[in-house]
Amino acid sequence: MIETWYGILSFMLIMYVVLDGRNFGAGMFHRLVAISPVERRQVVAAIGPLWSWHEVWLVGFGGTLVAVFPRLIASAFAGYYLALFLILWGLILRGISLEVGGHINDRLWQGFWDIAFVFANGLLAILFGAAAGNLVRGVPLDAQGNFSMAFFTDFGVRGHVGLLDWYTVSVAVFAAVLLAAHGATYLTLKTEGPVHDRSAKFAKRLWVVAATLFLGVSIESWVVRPDLPRHVIYTPFCWLGLLLVIASAVTLISGLLTGREMRAFVGSNLLLAGLLATGAAAIFPVILHSTLAPENSLTAYAVASTPEALFLGSIWWPAGFALAVSYFVFISRRYAGKVSVQRDTQGFY
Amino acid sequence: MNSNLFDPALWSRLQFGFTLTYHYLFPQLTMGLAWFLVYWKWRALRTGDEKYNQAVRFWAKIFGLNFAVGVVTGIPMEFQFGTNWAAFTRHSGGVIGQTLAMEGMFAFFLESAFVGALIWGEKRLGPRYHFMAAVAVALGSWLSGYFILVTNAFMQHPVGFQIQADGSLGIASLSTYLLNPWAWVQFAHNQVAALVTGSFVVTAVGAFYALRGLHPLQSRLYLRAGTSTALIASLLVAFPTGDQQAKMVANHQPVTLAAMEGKFTGGSMAGVAVIGQPNIAARRLDNPIEIPGALSFVAYGTFQSYVHGLEEYPEDAWPDNIELLYYSFHLMVMLGTLFIILMAYASFQNWRGRLESNIWLLCVLMLAFPFPYIANTLGWMTAELGRQPWLIYGLYRTQEGYSKVVSNGDVIFTLIGFTGIYFVLGLLFLFLVGWEIVHGPEGKESIANP
Repeated sequence: MIETWYGILSFMLIMYVVLDGRNFGAGMFHRLVAISPVERRQVVAAIGPLWSWHEVWLVGFGGTLVAVFPRLIASAFAGYYLALFLILWGLILRGISLEVGGHINDRLWQGFWDIAFVFANGLLAILFGAAAGNLVRGVPLDAQGNFSMAFFTDFGVRGHVGLLDWYTVSVAVFAAVLLAAHGATYLTLKTEGPVHDRSAKFAKRLWVVAATLFLGVSIESWVVRPDLPRHVIYTPFCWLGLLLVIASAVTLISGLLTGREMRAFVGSNLLLAGLLATGAAAIFPVILHSTLAPENSLTAYAVASTPEALFLGSIWWPAGFALAVSYFVFISRRYAGKVSVQRDTQGFY
Repeated sequence: MNSNLFDPALWSRLQFGFTLTYHYLFPQLTMGLAWFLVYWKWRALRTGDEKYNQAVRFWAKIFGLNFAVGVVTGIPMEFQFGTNWAAFTRHSGGVIGQTLAMEGMFAFFLESAFVGALIWGEKRLGPRYHFMAAVAVALGSWLSGYFILVTNAFMQHPVGFQIQADGSLGIASLSTYLLNPWAWVQFAHNQVAALVTGSFVVTAVGAFYALRGLHPLQSRLYLRAGTSTALIASLLVAFPTGDQQAKMVANHQPVTLAAMEGKFTGGSMAGVAVIGQPNIAARRLDNPIEIPGALSFVAYGTFQSYVHGLEEYPEDAWPDNIELLYYSFHLMVMLGTLFIILMAYASFQNWRGRLESNIWLLCVLMLAFPFPYIANTLGWMTAELGRQPWLIYGLYRTQEGYSKVVSNGDVIFTLIGFTGIYFVLGLLFLFLVGWEIVHGPEGKESIANP
């Protein structure tokens, strides 16, 4: 039961990263691919009507996390106090800058919100990347399952670590590039004209950089957590994840090279999902690894809610999920195809 | 409230209270406005009259702004269960997690999937699907209200739980928990109060246009739908929902009722104080003007019923800020009464066809819209201050629930941060809503076509 719930939560988080990741990516270098105001509206129209639908996966994930692993929320959220508030404020800025830009047709007004949008998306991509790095590296959990962390300490990865160190910073950079590549692939699919051509060019370059960084981050992860590679070898789920990574990488590369935009985009989505799934399977059953002493680490079993709560959740969650899938199918079909500024900007955006 | 500035619970309470009060300014409008959009969209489908579509397009912009601010200020609420109230989450996450998760899965997914389609998708969806999107958004927003009120009702009147071996709470019966009688009453009271806010805002914009002589068709539409809905909703807020809520408090939180009414000594024929200041030190209500027997009647149904006084309870079971609780409650009731009088008069004038020529009445209607926001806030202050000193009534004290590892300085820092961000957000919001209202429902699209 706990394993299934761990899988479900990983899935919800992956959905969030895959869906909102395209907005982070497209938002981050929006100024580079879209030069004129009309082109920028095109980018915004590709993201605009769907951002709250993407962000809601984070909310759904958070709520389900409270239901399933309440003690994880209690330890991790209090420990990451300031970092989480930075993410929250970044999400506020991202949503607002996207929402208000189109209300007033003025170059200065829209220019300002475009820049705020780029900044917020970049900040969020980096913070989420650092968070992922933190999950792999671990946090200074004490014997009571509590920790409180500074932004940075000595930039080392052992003992009393901070939010940022050489490892988490490099994961953050990797995440930013990866999401940018993902966003560029998305924009290539959704736009036409010069924005499309620039996005396609950027996508190829960014994927090359992302692949290089991926090698580096993999080696670093091995140095930071020597136990993980062995764990990957002994966990069949990790093989599945790696298989997905390889298959999606092939799909992505062939899509990029032959100019098949949908294929590239599917590959990009699955690649992100595969990387995260492999990571999630590799660290299981430990969710929060302690850098102070391995026995302080919090496992899924230790932080799980009561069996009754998990059982009840396993009744209503599939119903809620089935409904969500039906909305998803409806929305995706309605919003399929290229965006058109004529059809997708009704009053604003 | 413990006035010691070094008390960590104080800062977390202030931050949660501030961010929640601010957040709720937006959903209370969207929950009320959503049904106006559904109604107009339905009228447009039935009659094919373009003025209804115009109204939906205009109000969808206001709705979109409110929704966006509601979303971005709502996410911090969920996070704060972990960041600021970690001990509480550890203790009762096994129960309240159920509804927090269900709210996401059943309500937010529905709402956020269709809100974009409602606001920007008219051309993508076509009239029928666009109407359905409006219904989906309205249902989703009310459903999310229900789930979060079940969570709050558990804190007010815990049901359906069991205490585990380690002292934490686990869920015993999901149906008992979800069908908490407190939740039903609170939901009914809260949702009609949201309709009051929505209808006052619609009325105010209608009155503004009428006074300026702009958009006469739209203005008439808003005034008619606004004043009639406002009258019905204001009546429902008082009776039966407000009345039932008071009986709920009387039966399950008698000490809270005593504090809300400033009753220090118990007795039958207990009166409702229309005016009066609670004096905690002297343990009496100063300068009261009372309606004798009214409290006994409202709370228990007969004038002879015995109403408990604060002195019957140990002081550590008293709500920790009786004055604030007393004034919040009384001001809310006073405002609610004024809403009924104002909207009854406005509806009467409307029925006689004299509303649009009555300049003074239009001025009052235009300026009245902030007061439902204030009344809603006061209602929530009554509910939450009245629950003190408990986080879960009778089970778990507020002083036990905050995050022990988070320092005071951190919480003060983020509280100041929220104050600044929300101040700017508020300015921006008011400016843009004002901009949209000034441009009006018949104005050109606010962004020129390329």
